[in-house]
Amino acid sequence: MNGLVGRPVERVEGHAKVTGTARYPADDPVPGALHGFLVTSTVARGEVTDIDTSAALGHPGVVAVYTHREMPRLTVPPFPYPKGFIPLQGTAIHHAGQPVAIVLAETLEQAQEAASLVQVRYRSEPPRAVIDDAGQQPYLPPPFRDRPNEFTRGDASRALAQAEVRVEAHYSSPTRHHNPIEPHATTAHWDGDRLTLHETTQGVNVTRGVVATAFGLPADRIRVLAPYLGGGFGAKGPVWPHTIVNAAAARLARRPVRLVLSRAQMFTLTGHRAEFRQHLKIGATREGRLTAIVETTTAQLTTTEESIFNESDSTSTLYTCPNVHIRQEGVRLDIATSSYMRSPETTAHFGLETALDELSWVLGVDPLELRRRNHTDIDQETGLRIASKHLLDCYTTAADAFGWSRRNPAPGATRDGDEYIGWGMATEAHTFSAIPATASVTIGLDGKAVLRIATQDIGTGTRTIICQIGADALGVPITDVHAVIGDSALPNASLSAASATIASISGPVDRAARTARDTVVGLAVADRRSPLFGVPVSDVETRHGHLIHTRDQARRDTYRAVVSRAGKPVETTGSVPNVPGHSYGVVFAEVRVHARLGAVRVTRVVTAHDMGRVMNRRTARGQVLGGVTWGIGHALMEHTVYDRATARVVNPNLSTYLVPVCADVPSVETLFVDRPDPSSTALGARGFGETPITGVPAAIGNAVYHATGRRVRDLPITQDKLL
Amino acid sequence: MRPFGYVSAPDVATAVRVVSTEPNAKFLGGGTNLVDLMREGVERPDTLVDVTGLPLTAIEELPGGGVRIGALVRNARLAADPLIRSRYPVLSRALLSGASAQLRNVATVGGNLVQRTRCPYFYDHASACNKREPGAGCDAIGGVNRNHAVLGASEHCIATHPSDMAVALAALDAVVELESVRGTRRVPLLDLHRLPGETPHVETVLTADELITAVELPHLPVAAASHYRKVRDRASYAFALVSVAAALHVREGVVTDVRLALGGVAAKPWRAHQAERVLLGAEATEEVFLRAADAELAAATGLPDNTFKIELARRTIVATLQELLTDGSAA
Ligand SMILES: Cc1cc2nc3c(=O)[nH]c(=O)nc-3n(C[C@H](O)[C@H](O)[C@H](O)COP(=O)(O)OP(=O)(O)OC[C@H]3O[C@@H](n4cnc5c(N)ncnc54)[C@H](O)[C@@H]3O)c2cc1C
Ligand code: SF4
Repeated sequence: MNGLVGRPVERVEGHAKVTGTARYPADDPVPGALHGFLVTSTVARGEVTDIDTSAALGHPGVVAVYTHREMPRLTVPPFPYPKGFIPLQGTAIHHAGQPVAIVLAETLEQAQEAASLVQVRYRSEPPRAVIDDAGQQPYLPPPFRDRPNEFTRGDASRALAQAEVRVEAHYSSPTRHHNPIEPHATTAHWDGDRLTLHETTQGVNVTRGVVATAFGLPADRIRVLAPYLGGGFGAKGPVWPHTIVNAAAARLARRPVRLVLSRAQMFTLTGHRAEFRQHLKIGATREGRLTAIVETTTAQLTTTEESIFNESDSTSTLYTCPNVHIRQEGVRLDIATSSYMRSPETTAHFGLETALDELSWVLGVDPLELRRRNHTDIDQETGLRIASKHLLDCYTTAADAFGWSRRNPAPGATRDGDEYIGWGMATEAHTFSAIPATASVTIGLDGKAVLRIATQDIGTGTRTIICQIGADALGVPITDVHAVIGDSALPNASLSAASATIASISGPVDRAARTARDTVVGLAVADRRSPLFGVPVSDVETRHGHLIHTRDQARRDTYRAVVSRAGKPVETTGSVPNVPGHSYGVVFAEVRVHARLGAVRVTRVVTAHDMGRVMNRRTARGQVLGGVTWGIGHALMEHTVYDRATARVVNPNLSTYLVPVCADVPSVETLFVDRPDPSSTALGARGFGETPITGVPAAIGNAVYHATGRRVRDLPITQDKLL
Repeated sequence: MRPFGYVSAPDVATAVRVVSTEPNAKFLGGGTNLVDLMREGVERPDTLVDVTGLPLTAIEELPGGGVRIGALVRNARLAADPLIRSRYPVLSRALLSGASAQLRNVATVGGNLVQRTRCPYFYDHASACNKREPGAGCDAIGGVNRNHAVLGASEHCIATHPSDMAVALAALDAVVELESVRGTRRVPLLDLHRLPGETPHVETVLTADELITAVELPHLPVAAASHYRKVRDRASYAFALVSVAAALHVREGVVTDVRLALGGVAAKPWRAHQAERVLLGAEATEEVFLRAADAELAAATGLPDNTFKIELARRTIVATLQELLTDGSAA
């Protein structure tokens, strides 16, 4: 033990990243690779009637142009391929931006220019781009991955009718896109019927499975590599059509092909947070105890896919409420399919946490006190006690740091110069998954350890935490361990998504490393050449690369000496299941609203979180800073705009799709309760990535209300809504 | 991107000669707008004549107290220039409110003046745009038009001019110097850009082979108390919904001199002459400011997405004048 776990250890790959030596998937040199570029549909609904590729084929450097006429027939994979169809398999058009051809050329510029020369004719029909234009009643889609879209507990309509106090409101939010800085990229390299993919993915194994299904190949013929990722946020969790189309093109061309999506293409080819409506009715006692929640949501679906990704988990589980009825409905539009976006539960969470604020004003109860009154340690779905939940501590810690008790409750009452000042808060909560995984550890003759697992580091710090865990379990310096991840040939792990990574991989890494340690200790005490020969293994501890007799510290050996004497590396594996759960927290926000112009600035944020054990304070803080930044974008600016006549995205670039810049983000005070969860096999840690952000939009909206007395229920809160 | 030829011009004479003789040639300044538009296939020049090596990089004081700015001065340098900061703070602030530090390091005065609109349909080949393709129609009018014009638009185009710098220059009575094979001419900045009318693709009075060589600012004491206020959807690095450039001088409570221009509202930087007329000689009070704003905006018309900009412009005018009044600089 070195006590590395829990410390703010610097990212082990930080130096490589900032010096540009880290190789992201599109950086891997693949000799002889062609550059692909997609030609995409300009119409949203209809069919391709003709494609003329002759001008493109005549462009210098062009090797091939493939359309549905040349492409092999492929099998549409199930989830996590949330698309429902593969492009270039027929003439039907389901959304603007759907690929209709792929151009392969010697250089990227040649491929791009040739793509603009492909002439496509369409027959088009009027598309439906937004929920308002759906022209259909929302419907209840079938269960998504065994989860029904309707959920009831108790008798919510009766309880609502009998409630002493009721709040009813409609909330809404627009389509939003993930926009990781690194664009989606794929390089396909066939060797016979073996395929290697250099892929920007949050799941090397998931990609392997989906691509294997599409091509009808055994999964073991495919290897997927994603050593680094320049941000995912869910956009790189599912597999998207460009990966499959590009691999098919590479097979036809008999050359490796690299395809990097343009920013604009990322607005139609890689998923998004669906446009969303939420109708909430809340019943409560005069003391503010929730008695009923009735919620109907409407999410954008498509004609080819009907998965609902904006789940209402918070509505059903966050507070104690005996009577709940939730319906997650959808309408089918002619735009690209939606998918998970960090954090999927945020969308509905915004309505819940805003409605509670509205209830607090109706009741005249402090919003924080209202949440305390509805706090529960009982799992609302199973009725069992939650093993570890320190949300009340989060409330107290963050409220003290923020100075919440000094709040003047009257809305519009605090002014400084031209600006109104408002304070708002919201609870944060998100589920996390736990997915079976296996890790291996190899201790080489040099005494250094290599930890292997087919997980990914999507920028959250996974690689560093693997090294911390491994180094602690072995009792070696962190510089003596090296993590190899992002390769489907490694021991099995799953998606870096659903906040599952730490919860899923920590136990296996720890187990594999402990087993390796025990093996090396066993070798030492059995080896006559070791100073520890004959010592009971229970009397040997490991520290800083040394094996040490606990009662006679002078008797010691080293990993390096033991393994090199043994003459062959020590290899072990570990696999430990874990259970899913929730991580919790709270966010307090201060805003300033310009009295004349309506501009909102977020000027102060304090958070506190309960995520079980904090594995690395630095990377955990990074998650919170990122989450708050996302939440500010969500609350105040992010918005994908569709042209309603054509269903094309009007702002498919970072100049017009606004995300927060540094000047929009204040300093954030990030506090952690940091108490290990006894039910977790991940060294007491829980999944956390998606919890911070969930409450931020509501906290900001609630602060805007406190500042101005104006309640904006339709996000984003742009200043025209406050004029 | 379409292949194109590239010439680095050694002197002004060569630059204007090449552009006037080579078919479909364009001047290349910092390239921050032109190269983007080439990548999008909106601009498709055959030859680029790089003018960044030309000796037009001085910022000089003129005998009468004005300032002459070379057309190739980079935006960042102009914003930081002590002469500009002390005599024309509105120009420095307008520049600093535009784009990002990296872009300002590269963008030139000439390129900034004739940068093209940010109307999203202008960039999207699949949509109808009279500016990109005369006669094709205008998808913005029935489409998404939050960032579009409320003043001086036509049924053919409702685009806005995106420059912040130009709004300050419009308030400062700047004059632009142009050079071509036919000689030199001087055009008031207010006459440089054209309203769309029936020909939205003709954006300025420049001919295709005319090079902007300099911008001159007159001696303008009122500009010492001047301010630029930009209202946008995030704190930095976004184009204006509405912006206001104002210079104000008040003596004994009465406006003795004023310059006012609006950005984000029209196809050109919009000098608010009507408002200035109301203000000049009137009492410097919030009511008068409001009246002045209303006079200027009486002719404004909005579409579903952008009608709010009329009210926002009204409030921004008042806020900017109030700020100059209360911070004492206008006295
Ligand atoms: C992401 C982004 C954000 C931005 N935000 C803002 C903003 O908030 N506010 C703002 O004002 N601007 C903004 N800009 C625009 C920026 O200010 C302009 O792109 C820049 O000023 C153009 O200058 P340039 O020298 O790079 O011009 P170029 O791109 O080189 O040229 C632009 C045009 O001017 C012509 N040209 C160049 N020099 C001359 C000359 N001397 N004589 C005649 N014609 C010439 C070119 O032929 C071309 O048609 C932004 C740009 C980007 C990319
Ligand atoms: S507003 Fe002007 S630039 Fe925009 S689409 Fe219409 S014509 Fe084109």
